[in-house]
Amino acid sequence: MFRRKKWPGAAAGAALAVLGPLALGACGSSSGSSSTLTIGVITPATTFQAPDMNWGNESLYNQAVYDSLLQTSPTGTIEPHLATAWSYNAAKTVLTLTLRTGVKFTDGTPFNASVAAQNLEAFQKGTSNNAGFLVNLASATAESPTKLVIKLKQPDPAFLTYLGQAAGSQESPKAWTTPTAKTVPVGSGPYLLDTKDTVVGSSYVFTKNPNYWDKPEQHYSRVVMNVYTTATTVLDAIEGAQVNAANTFDDTTINQIQNAGFTVYPLQLNWAGLSLLDRDGRMSGPLGKVQVRQAINMAFDRAALLKDMSDGYGSVTSQVFPTSSPGYDKSLDSYYSFDPAKAKQLLAAAGYPHGFTLDMPSISAAFGAATYALIQAELADIGVKVNYTDYQGSQIFTAILAPKYPATYFTLEEDPVPWQLAQFLLTKDATFNPFHSTNSTVAGYLNAMQTGSSAQAAVAAKALNQYLVQNAWFAPFFRPQSSFVADSHTTVKVQAGNAVPYLWNIEPKKS
Amino acid sequence: MLTFTVRRLLYGALLLFVIVTLAYLLLYAAAGNVGRTILGPDATQATVALKNQQLGLNSPLLTRYFSWLGHALTGNFGNSWFTNQPVTTAISTRLQVTLTLVLGAVIVSAVVSAALGVWAALRGGAVDRTVQVFSVLGFAIPGFIIAVFLVRFFALGTHWFKPTGYVPIATSFAGWIRTVTLPVIALSIGLVAGVAQQVRSSVIDALRQDWVRTLRSRGLSERSVLFKHVLRNAGGPALSVLALSFVGLLGGAVIIEQIFGIPGLGQIAVLATSQGDVPLVMGLVVAIGVIVIVVNLVVDLLQGFLNPKARIS
Repeated sequence: MFRRKKWPGAAAGAALAVLGPLALGACGSSSGSSSTLTIGVITPATTFQAPDMNWGNESLYNQAVYDSLLQTSPTGTIEPHLATAWSYNAAKTVLTLTLRTGVKFTDGTPFNASVAAQNLEAFQKGTSNNAGFLVNLASATAESPTKLVIKLKQPDPAFLTYLGQAAGSQESPKAWTTPTAKTVPVGSGPYLLDTKDTVVGSSYVFTKNPNYWDKPEQHYSRVVMNVYTTATTVLDAIEGAQVNAANTFDDTTINQIQNAGFTVYPLQLNWAGLSLLDRDGRMSGPLGKVQVRQAINMAFDRAALLKDMSDGYGSVTSQVFPTSSPGYDKSLDSYYSFDPAKAKQLLAAAGYPHGFTLDMPSISAAFGAATYALIQAELADIGVKVNYTDYQGSQIFTAILAPKYPATYFTLEEDPVPWQLAQFLLTKDATFNPFHSTNSTVAGYLNAMQTGSSAQAAVAAKALNQYLVQNAWFAPFFRPQSSFVADSHTTVKVQAGNAVPYLWNIEPKKS
Repeated sequence: MLTFTVRRLLYGALLLFVIVTLAYLLLYAAAGNVGRTILGPDATQATVALKNQQLGLNSPLLTRYFSWLGHALTGNFGNSWFTNQPVTTAISTRLQVTLTLVLGAVIVSAVVSAALGVWAALRGGAVDRTVQVFSVLGFAIPGFIIAVFLVRFFALGTHWFKPTGYVPIATSFAGWIRTVTLPVIALSIGLVAGVAQQVRSSVIDALRQDWVRTLRSRGLSERSVLFKHVLRNAGGPALSVLALSFVGLLGGAVIIEQIFGIPGLGQIAVLATSQGDVPLVMGLVVAIGVIVIVVNLVVDLLQGFLNPKARIS
């Protein structure tokens, strides 16, 4: 019989012991420098070439390394930055900007009006998701090193706002012809990208720019942006105190995040609901009738949908204008109540007593099959039979914008600047107006919003909003809550209309 | 041996060509509107069209494929469409991380499973039954569940380890240990279960052979019989299982890296495939294909070393 029974066991013990000391050695406190800000983000940077940079979730990358011509406050007020003053002509088609002096890019190139003009033209011709914002830019001319004159094809009330976003970001034009143009930024911003410690797509490390001209905006000596691809890893990073602040994928983990000592900074960025796109009934005859569109609005129990689709985080609404917009009207949030009986009456009055069939696209992988089933069930209750065609990925946008469907469910952004929202949803050539719906009433309000004074534009936006709700251009359900969170050492001011706070509004909490 | 090696390498190159061709065609069939995926719903149709044009998506499929192949043969795999990082840089940076996890899991599995398998084979009885029960459990519980458990208890509960992220060993050894230990354990447990069973069976079989009795009768020590003869004889099948598992672990790392937020190949493989990042996915296909072919070749050569009967002239 085999006698040596001890050493195999000892070997197993030794094998396990390999891990033991290492595990013990791993014990220790997790600490980071108080001047390091670690942010959990949910999107990697598509590029660092300023004229092609995306905004929204990617704005933090941009703001770390670039300055923009203007800035916007958390509530959307335009503030000076690289441009210290600005003015329009009477027709609002010529914008003159006075630029700051003494600012240099990290390659030593001085910032001036000529550089600013080149940046604007490059952005207009680039492939940022916001490149369309400069559609009205006719020319940008440097009249002197500190005087930039921008001519617009037509008045654009959102133009100043755009100059505070990616469209106004300034990079040294010399960088655009280098082999590292897309991965190494050459800006004048508060931080420098540390390419050595950065793992592209996973973790971006920035160090303080020692020559930055606006030092009070440099709240930290180091900023790290870690990319998390699932809600669970974000939560793990929060619970493991590996981040000071983070964006979240959804609201399902809010309670756990709060239990970890983090503060939730809520924000409403989007509206969820149906876009009733075919308002002239070209593809779907019934949708051309206002009673039918109103009936669809009355078919939905918005409170129940909010609970089922967004765990109750958010607020019900019937309008597409956000609370931060001058066009917002609180009474329109509850304009349509859940009333299937009245909806049926309206359908009958419109000539569809037995309902009709509505074709819509779906993307179950993004919004979940249950969402579409709920919508289908509520519309079925008033006699509208929904047929879905399910899509994967971006093909659904191609189908919607073709246009291949008279209506669609989607979660769409709601911009605080009325003209920005109009350019996305409402103007004849707006991206999400594929049937180019318009009429004299809508065109009149839009014209007043575009060319009128601020007060006149606000009045027109309110009136347009009321018209859109009454005529049921959309069937919004609710504004879902987006949540940015921060630990007890960090304070945050959320930015109206942006997925994440602006970088300079994330600060160490003052004790 | 040289002829065998050359033949296997040529076969591997042919296999790689077939794999990348199929992968390229499948990716383009599933990619959708890449420009729209990159830019999202806000972008205008004109910007999306410009983006697609810049990516070369307006050319015929075969033109694109042969262009990619031509560049790939010179080592130029292009840039990721979604991060603009050169594909070779993206892969080489992350390959180190994934190989650290996978090799760590293989080494841990080899040591632990050899010890457990031999222990069970020699001791029999309760020890054997216990090892077998744990083997079945190790097989039955998916690695991602073990990973979630490890995060909850050993990272978030005890704070011994980091729940997410990866620290390179050159930056901090302690940090490296705190980030790789749990993923390696999560990857190893299933493999330990399989290999321990294999070692146990092989050792029991070998111990029953006549040549073991002969060796003992010639006065060889039990240690010598076990280490020099029995384990070497029993090591072949275990090595095959480990080698096959190495390839499987690359797949397992995809999930584990997601759970631990580790910047390895698995993490970008998931992201790149779901986004339709063709240059990056193709780079990954080539990298993983080469790894699989090389590992299989090395295993064949090692088998020959361990077992002269398996040597191919």
